[in-house]
Formats: sequence, C-alpha cells, structure tokens
Amino acid sequence: MIQIINGLVYGSFLYLLSVGLVLIFGLRRVTNFAHGGLFMLGAYISYAVAAYLGFWTGMVVSVVALAALGVLLDRFVFRPLAHEDAIVTLLVTFGLLFVVEDLVRTIWGKDFLTVAPPQILSGVVPMFGATFPVYRLFVIAVALAVAAGLAIWLRSSRVGLYVRASSVDPVTTGMQGVDTDRLSALVVAIGTGLAGLSGTIAGPLLALSSSMGGYIIIDCFVVVVTGGLTSFTGVFIAALLIGQVHNLGIVFVPELASMLPLAIMALVLTLRPQGLAGAGK
Amino acid sequence: MTMPSVETNAASPRPASRSPLPLAAVVIACALGLGLLVPVLVSSQLALTLMTQAVISAVLATGIGFMIRQNGLTSFGHAAFYGLAAYGVALNGKFGLMPTELAIILAIVLPSILAFVAGLGIVRLPPLAFSMLTLAVAQSFHEIFLRWRDLANGDDGMAVRLPSTLFGMDIAVFQQPATMFVVCWIVLVLIIGGLWLIARSRFGLLTIAIRENEERARYIGFETVVPRAIIYGVSAAVGAIGGVLFVLYNAFVTPGVLHWSLSGEALVMAVIGGARAIWGPALGSVIFFMFKDAAGDLTEHWPAIIGVTLIVVTVLLPHGVSGLLSSMVAKLKGKAR
Repeated sequence: MIQIINGLVYGSFLYLLSVGLVLIFGLRRVTNFAHGGLFMLGAYISYAVAAYLGFWTGMVVSVVALAALGVLLDRFVFRPLAHEDAIVTLLVTFGLLFVVEDLVRTIWGKDFLTVAPPQILSGVVPMFGATFPVYRLFVIAVALAVAAGLAIWLRSSRVGLYVRASSVDPVTTGMQGVDTDRLSALVVAIGTGLAGLSGTIAGPLLALSSSMGGYIIIDCFVVVVTGGLTSFTGVFIAALLIGQVHNLGIVFVPELASMLPLAIMALVLTLRPQGLAGAGK
Repeated sequence: MTMPSVETNAASPRPASRSPLPLAAVVIACALGLGLLVPVLVSSQLALTLMTQAVISAVLATGIGFMIRQNGLTSFGHAAFYGLAAYGVALNGKFGLMPTELAIILAIVLPSILAFVAGLGIVRLPPLAFSMLTLAVAQSFHEIFLRWRDLANGDDGMAVRLPSTLFGMDIAVFQQPATMFVVCWIVLVLIIGGLWLIARSRFGLLTIAIRENEERARYIGFETVVPRAIIYGVSAAVGAIGGVLFVLYNAFVTPGVLHWSLSGEALVMAVIGGARAIWGPALGSVIFFMFKDAAGDLTEHWPAIIGVTLIVVTVLLPHGVSGLLSSMVAKLKGKAR
C-alpha cells in the first residue's frame, strides 16, 4: 500500500513536469527538449535561494525566474522558428539542454547536492501501519492543486478557451483573431514556471545533479506520448499510470523496471496510436 | 494536421541518379586508396587513435543520417543498435556460445531485424513522437545493462574475450590504431557506397516519395509502411556495424555505449555534416573530432560548445556542411558555364 502511494508521488511529480511539455506543445507544436534542463536549473536556483531565504522563497524565485526564461525562450527561440520544421526546434532545444547543463556544472560543480524539506513538511505521518514522510504527501497535494487550477483555468476563462482551441488547431485559432504569439508567451511561461516548481519540489525528493534533467525528461516523453501529446486529461492519467508502474517495477523487478513504462506506452500506442486521450494526428 | 517532413522545400528529388555508376566506382576506389595512405602519412599514434574513433563514430552517424534522409525521421536512440551489437559480441565472449565470427554477424543482423519489426509499428508515428520513443527505448536498454550486474557487470563494464584470429586475420589487426583505422575506413566507404546504391535504386526513390507525401504515395498504390521499416532496419544495421567495430577495437564495453548522450553526439555529427548527402554525417563526425581536439583546454565546457554549434548549424545551415559544400560546387559549375 505504501508502495502505491510512493508511485502516486512519482506520478504526481511526472505530471507537474509533463504538463508543461503538453502546454508548450499545444501552442507551439514543438517538443521542448530543454524542459529537463530548465527543470534542473529550477532545482538549482531554489537550492541556492533556499540556503539564504528559506524553502518557500526559493520556490517563488525559481518559478518566477523560470517563467521569465520561458518568455525569452518563446520570443527568441520558438517564435523565430515557428515556421521551420518541428524537428529543427527539437534540435535547437536539444542544444540548449547541453548549454544549460554545462552552465549549471560550471556554477554549482559536479557533486550531488541535497536539499532539506522545509520544517513544516519534514515530519512523518503514520499510515497503513507504517510511517510516511509528510513531504511526499505534499508533492501529491501540489500536483492535485496544479491539475485542478489548470483545469479550472482552461475550462472557465476566456484565455483558457483560447489555449484549448489553439491546442486543437493553432492556425484556425489564429485566424479567428486570437493573438497566438502573445498567448504562447504566456503559456510557455506557465510551462517553464511549472518546470521551476517541479525542480524545487524535486530538491528534497531526489539528489541534485546536472544530469538530472536529461534523465527525467525521458520519463516525461513517455508520459506525454502515452497521454496523446496535446491532451491535458491524457497527460494526467498517463503520468499517474507510468509513475505507478515505474515505482512498482523498481520494487519488484528492478532489472526490468525501466522497460515497464515503455511496455505500457507500446501497448497504448498499439491499441490507440493517437495516445490515451489524443485527438488523432 | 500533417507534420511536414524534414527538408520539404529542399527536396528537389534529385538524388545521385545523375552521376553514373563508373564515376561512383572511381570515387570509391579513390576513397579506399586514400584510407590506405593515412597510416603511412600519419605517424602519431595519438592522431591515429583519434581518427579511428572518428571513423567508428562516423559509421553510427551515417546510420542516423540515412534514416533522416530516406524517412525524414530523426532517431534519438540509435546508440541502442550500436550498444546492443557491442554487448552481443561481449556476452558471446563471456558465455562462449558460438564462434566470434558468427556472433558478429548475428550482432549485426539481430538488431536490424528488431528495428525492422519495431519499425512496422513506429514509423507511422508523427516525427516528434518517433524521436521521443526511440530515445526512451534506447535509454531503457541502457538501464538494463546498467542494473543487471550479473549479466554484464553494470557500470564497471566488462572486458571482452576475443579469439586470437578473426576472419583469418590476427586479432592485433583490429586493436592497433594503424591497422584498425584502415579496416574501419574500408567498412565506412563500403557502407556509404552501399547506402548510395540503395538511395538511388527504385526502392530508395520510393522511400523519398513516401517521406515527401505518405498519403499520396499510398494513393498511387504503394505499400508505405514496410519500405520505411526496411530503411529503419538498414540504418540500424549500420549502427550495429559501428558497435562491432567499437568492441573489436576496444575489447571493453560499458553501458556508456547505450547511453542517450552517445545517440545525441552521433545525431549532432549527422546534423553538422548534413544528412541530405549520404556522406554528410561521416564528414560531420570528422569535423566533430577535429573540433573536439582543437577545443583542447576548453573541453571542460565541451557540452556547451556542442550545444551552441548544434543551434548555429541547425538554424543557419539546415543542410549542414555537406549541403554548404554541394551548393558551393553547384555555384562554381554555374559560373564555369
């Protein structure tokens, strides 16, 4: 039972990171390979700030800094390349990942760093006859809050409507008079801000290293493809599913754990090539 | 929504079919001769080692490039075939299952069959999903060899037991840079020649037609999945040949041969060289290694250098260095007339 909650923790974490990819993909039709790098950068920024000003300030600074980076990324990378092939942007963001990793290595060194959870979340609670760290429950809570917040925003606000429309068909949405460039600056900022948030959250959960981004991005890709690339519901379900499978895999068949999420993805893609909740190509 | 394939506007489908076969034979013969001269001219052991590595990586990059050229799909996980072939030979040495010659052939054939079968399913995916999927699959192979310590000694890697003679040649031939360079060079030239023949064949043209417009090719009455899966298989075979060369040369493997950063590096080579020409990725690999050598003191910041180079080349030289050279040659020809 504890293992299932652990899987839920990992799934929540994957969701926070993957939904940013989905948001960006929806508006710009690009895969942001640098997302993992930004996530890692977010983790290090909050690490640096948290050392002086505490965990919560670190989180805010990290989210704001990453969101600002997102605006720049959209303005100077995604927008100029909007008419190029999607693969071009993929390669460029792939290059950015290298640059960010090197930057972080230069500033913070190669050693693993760890972050302590904030005081209020550092305890454990009894659960199903064992104890469970409060911090991990907090991760689940954050993911649920983000999922709920996004759902409300997307469903009930005008901007949310534009975002959903644009995810289905950016060209037509643009023709209807929506300023997709401004919209996407906002959405990319939210996406990268979420990368900053998940980076902060990852601090006490994982060890910080400059390669953590490249590592996690692969699981996120699996989640995004399984979920169907543009679906916000799909990515939520897929993240929880993959998180669960991944975690149970590590517990029961450690040698093959990394294969299991792929097996799920392969199964889903075979049955539904468009992904769990995707709307075709 | 259909995603435009790579090089859509650039694809005046004018593959090598204009240059006649005899000319190609001359080019290949010259290239082979050139390779034989290198060990005579270059005496520095260090330089030869570097060049041998460059040629082995060039084989892998050529495999990736061929996939991009014929299928318009970018593989982020080609190290899987390279690494599986290397581990195939290594594990055969450990368990002594069969003669090494046979193991080498299987190490090339099995990954290609795997790629072909997987390709039947995944070449239909949108290009972005294909890239992400290949990356994820390759990385999971890496994880297996990393974690399954009993099988392959995990992160510490394993020394590879090789017989004293291979294909009638002394094993030292494969492990001295001077001779191994020639072996790898010949293999590379033959691969490029072979891929060139495939690309200019009817089958090669068909895959380009599918790359340009899959739907239209299907309406004309062509089966469009199998040809692309075959190309994927061929490109995997080329990657696997690279892995075999690697393991023969080093007699040592670590999970690094399966890591996605190796796929990424080879992809960077292919992009720098330009995949529109079959020889482009190999050229990219040579440039990559020369550049790395020249970077010298800066190698600590090597990843950032690669990153920036990749960005600059993708944005400014969409057809890579080989594309630049080709267009320069075309211009010169135009002036001569």
